[in-house]
Amino acid sequence: MQQIKGWFTAAPLLWLIVLLFALFPIYTTLADLPFWNDVAMRIMLLGMAAMGLNLVLGYGGMVSFGHAAFIGIGAYVTGIANFYGLDNGWIQIALALGICAVTGMIIGFLSLRTSGIYFIMITLAFAQMLYFFFVSLEQFGGDDGMVMNRSDFVFIDLWAPLSLYYMIVAALALTALLLCVLVHSRFGVTLRALKSNQSRVEAMGLNALRFRITAYMISAMICGLAGALFANWQEYVSPDIMHWTRSGELMIVIVLGGLATLAGPLLGAVVFFLLEEFLPEILAHILPAYAENWLLVFGLFLIAVVMFGRGGLIGVSQKLRARFGKGAG
Amino acid sequence: MTFALILEQLFNGFQTGVTLFLIAAGLTLVLGIMDFVNLAHGSQVMIGAYAATVLTALTGNFYLGVLLAIPVTFLFGIVLELVIIRHLYRRDHMEQVLATFGLILFFNEAVRIGFGPGALFFNLPQSLSGFVQVMPDMPYPAFRFSVIWVGLACAILIGLFVARTRIGAMVRAGASNPEMTAALGINIRLLFRLIFAAGATFAGLAGMMLGPLTAVEPGMGEGLLILSLVVIIIGGIGSVRGAFIAAVIVGIVDTMGRVLLPVILRSFMDQAAADGAGPALASMAVYILMAVVLVFRPTGLFPPRG
Repeated sequence: MQQIKGWFTAAPLLWLIVLLFALFPIYTTLADLPFWNDVAMRIMLLGMAAMGLNLVLGYGGMVSFGHAAFIGIGAYVTGIANFYGLDNGWIQIALALGICAVTGMIIGFLSLRTSGIYFIMITLAFAQMLYFFFVSLEQFGGDDGMVMNRSDFVFIDLWAPLSLYYMIVAALALTALLLCVLVHSRFGVTLRALKSNQSRVEAMGLNALRFRITAYMISAMICGLAGALFANWQEYVSPDIMHWTRSGELMIVIVLGGLATLAGPLLGAVVFFLLEEFLPEILAHILPAYAENWLLVFGLFLIAVVMFGRGGLIGVSQKLRARFGKGAG
Repeated sequence: MTFALILEQLFNGFQTGVTLFLIAAGLTLVLGIMDFVNLAHGSQVMIGAYAATVLTALTGNFYLGVLLAIPVTFLFGIVLELVIIRHLYRRDHMEQVLATFGLILFFNEAVRIGFGPGALFFNLPQSLSGFVQVMPDMPYPAFRFSVIWVGLACAILIGLFVARTRIGAMVRAGASNPEMTAALGINIRLLFRLIFAAGATFAGLAGMMLGPLTAVEPGMGEGLLILSLVVIIIGGIGSVRGAFIAAVIVGIVDTMGRVLLPVILRSFMDQAAADGAGPALASMAVYILMAVVLVFRPTGLFPPRG
């Protein structure tokens, strides 16, 4: 009992955001803003993928620059299964998770032979390989991608209003719970220990590679789940979903929120997409001529985050609290 | 598929290779010596191409335009290093990736604001727009031919400079042990700045040579950036010689793959599917090559660190 309570109190901010997402449709229904449900779903899915990546990137210290590939695999498995008439959503998700686990294991096994910048680049290489693989599949639309119907989740009718929304909320909550449990388990402690001193951990008789590959597989599966749901949300699958800039986006989201924190990636995703939504509008008020060029401001913002915002939003807020909290107390 | 066609494609592959080398040379030195991952290196390619296009239009002479664009890109490199890059040397690779990713977004939008979102086109001078007879019965575009020569000349220049001059010796020393080099009284900050700007210039030159072949547009350097990252990883980070060999291999694999794979695929697929899948599979080939190299030699083919 104490244990279960611990999982939730370990990351109050994370659960608060999940709860807000669960309650958000009340607002959109009352205010009649159904568009915002779509935005929220996108934020949750990319936040989920970022949470998966954070396990290897933040806690494990393995800078993977190719996690968009697993989102793509999840999405394509769903799309291709639908294409061949296998439209049971549960089976599709199981397939997506399985295939992501296997590819994650293979890519992890090969990539983890290298380290540092070589690791960043080899993970990028594998992602590019898979990207061009899906581009080359002409029967599934190649470059243009393919339109698909939402899957059949047997007990749940995805066409009913908000059913997909709450499915995504449930997946997000499951991911959050999984990560809360993992990070505080023996596995998570070992993973973090490996990040700070590999030889000490190995001297204790633990196999570093096995822990790292396991973490890599789990994070690949989380991204795959996000991808499968992404395909259902978008009703469309294309290689665009796994472009290398998407992998960069996931990293931005994590660093923005706070590396190796439970709530960071999700918080980062919320802020990232709110910026993407509102920056053009804000610019339209201040400098109407340049509203389309909001990426210019966003680029500067990114540089500023790296230069001045170490520890991400969570880190900065902790620093501020430490500074001003003391004065007040 | 005739012999002449294959030979022509080999030339094209070689031309792509030397262009890639020009981009990769700066990238590999910056990463090898300063331990700095510069994703915005692709933006230098774009800036070089725009500078040459604008200056060519202003002066009305292609050669003069390119000649004037070279110092412009060098100055640009110096300013960028002073304002942003030098503050990022001590950060970890991921933070460098993110900050330079931000720079890419910034430069792309800045160019879009300045020159519009569409592509600009070069008008080649008469002397470069014809064909040369490389061999009897084998005409080859004069511009591509001169790109090969310029690329080779730069490669030899960079190679001699790094191997034979005093500053080159400092560069090599910096690549194998920066702290020790600084301790020996070498102004490593100035060295960094010059290497960064020189790398930017060569990347800009690559952009000037690519401009007439493709289109001068925002984001034109990004695909090349990823390819030149592949090149420097295969070659071994910090090794100019490795970068050259890897660039030629990657250029030829990519170009030949694009031509040969559809032909091979056509023997067991229908034509439309083969023509669609071929180029994508050729792009895959480059990454497969890189993964294979890294699996067997985790620090590339010619790692400079002993």
